[in-house]
Amino acid sequence: MVRQRNSRVTAPAERALLWVEDHLRWFLTLPALVLLVAFFAYPIGRALYLSVYSFGTTGRSFVGVENYIAILTKGAFWDSLWITAKFMILAVTLEVSLGIAIAFVLNSRVRFRGLVQTIGIVPLVISPTVVALLWQLLYQNGGVLDFLVGPLTGGPVPWLSSPDVALWALVIPDVWQMTPLVTLIVLAGLQSVPDHVREAAVMDGAGRLRRLVDVTLPYVRELIVLVVILRVVGTMRVFAKVFVLTRGGPAGSTNVVSMKLYREAFRYGNYGRASTMALLLLVFALLITYAFAKISEVEF
Amino acid sequence: MATENRPTGGLRRSLLRRTEWCYDRLDEYGLLPGLTHGIALVFVLWTMFPVYWMVSGSLRTRRDLLATPPQWLPSTLTVENYVQLFAQRPQFYDYLFNSVVVTAGATLLAVALGTAATYGFVQYDYPFDLGRFHLPFTILATRFLPPIVTVIPLYRIFDATSLLNTKFGLVLAYAAFNVPFVVWMMKGFFAELPDSIVEAAIMDGHTEIGAFLKVVVPMVRPGLIAATIFTIINAWNDLLFAVILTSDTSAQTLPVALATFKTAYVIEWELLTAAGTIAMAPVLLFAFLVREKLLRGFTMGAVK
Repeated sequence: MVRQRNSRVTAPAERALLWVEDHLRWFLTLPALVLLVAFFAYPIGRALYLSVYSFGTTGRSFVGVENYIAILTKGAFWDSLWITAKFMILAVTLEVSLGIAIAFVLNSRVRFRGLVQTIGIVPLVISPTVVALLWQLLYQNGGVLDFLVGPLTGGPVPWLSSPDVALWALVIPDVWQMTPLVTLIVLAGLQSVPDHVREAAVMDGAGRLRRLVDVTLPYVRELIVLVVILRVVGTMRVFAKVFVLTRGGPAGSTNVVSMKLYREAFRYGNYGRASTMALLLLVFALLITYAFAKISEVEF
Repeated sequence: MATENRPTGGLRRSLLRRTEWCYDRLDEYGLLPGLTHGIALVFVLWTMFPVYWMVSGSLRTRRDLLATPPQWLPSTLTVENYVQLFAQRPQFYDYLFNSVVVTAGATLLAVALGTAATYGFVQYDYPFDLGRFHLPFTILATRFLPPIVTVIPLYRIFDATSLLNTKFGLVLAYAAFNVPFVVWMMKGFFAELPDSIVEAAIMDGHTEIGAFLKVVVPMVRPGLIAATIFTIINAWNDLLFAVILTSDTSAQTLPVALATFKTAYVIEWELLTAAGTIAMAPVLLFAFLVREKLLRGFTMGAVK
């Protein structure tokens, strides 16, 4: 440390200040780290502990790995994972393809581009709870959506009461809310393509679509990977929309993994089972984070 | 056309050429601007309509709102629904108050701790490469964790430490979950500062704490504002933590009230649209204040 210190005897308060100065790096980071340990590491440790117990009306009893065996061999957990996967695949595919398409459209000669971008922010910042309500209102029997699609389907659609339709009734609000995220991110990437690169490609006689595929796409490829990962993570944790619109029904057709865990813990009081499922979910999440870190070459 | 000079072959190439041909014809007949503006218009209508429907619904009578066929424009405007909402459900004052307190507390805590930690990682060296990679990576991993994983054991922990159903417990939980956002958002702002700033400040007679608080913090103010507003939005909008960790009006927030609004067989849509509009308005206002910086938050700093 280059700073010069006063050599005379210092008052206790001043000495304390100097001590803080010397250890400033820990004072800066430790509070945040303590909070993170308390709210991430400790609960995960606690989940490990809970996962070897069974909770019944008479209290809890030690069951060892029984919860793990029960969950991995019975279908219910896998069913909820499969429903989550279906939701994820449908929503992410639609969001990413529509989002990219709209980004390319907006990147061409469109007036009021700034205004359209600003409007794209609106769904992103609205609470998923409110988004679910917006759509529940539109799904009302004889409501706006029935009025619009009625001529095509020949009558009101049982949006939230048919097991065949309900998952789509969750996908649509998610697509509505998150497509603009893809659009805004990809558009930001498209606008960062330097003019001279584009001009050079024109000089070389590359056609419009060749320019798009060979010149523009490399600039946004990383962003597209990023946004896919963000949406995979986002759809994996979907909860509010399911909670408001279907509560996992009808007939369990929208019982995504968050909902499954919620019910296991807070409806059936089976914290052991729920913790075990949570830990299995954690493994999936870590794999995805690792993939993200590899792809985006995380460094600080 | 230039591409015709090249050797042709492959489905991809011929598809590419055909699409390009269509594109050129559209361009030639001057239809391209019409098409792009048409798509942009559809996007705007599709995005704004549900929001319009709820906001306008909150200003209409129930009959008008739920009419078949739909009444696209309200026939009369009234604030009666808002009056009725608070008259019939006075606990809405509590929900609103809880939301404001919890959001403000969590945001202050998350931004303060997150900013300090980020500065530490960027400015100082830590043993075992902690600051360069391991801690930031761990912090990133928490962002990717589905919150349901920690919230179930957290319920048991809160139960044992009597934090359950308190605003303070919710403040801590939201702060912890937003610190990763703040760290990754601020990281970019700190990295953009010139290296010599801190040295120069210390030469000028600042202590290291003083250099951080009086010189560095003011320089990253745009980042602080963006991180603050992003945290406000996250905390204000959350349902999962609030629905699990709170159980009555002493700590329940607006999203919980909205999600559990339909108690009877009928949904009182005229009141629910008013409540939804109240929940939506502040975040929209805040979001527009920082709309350029908001993408950084959503992408963990990947988009500048």
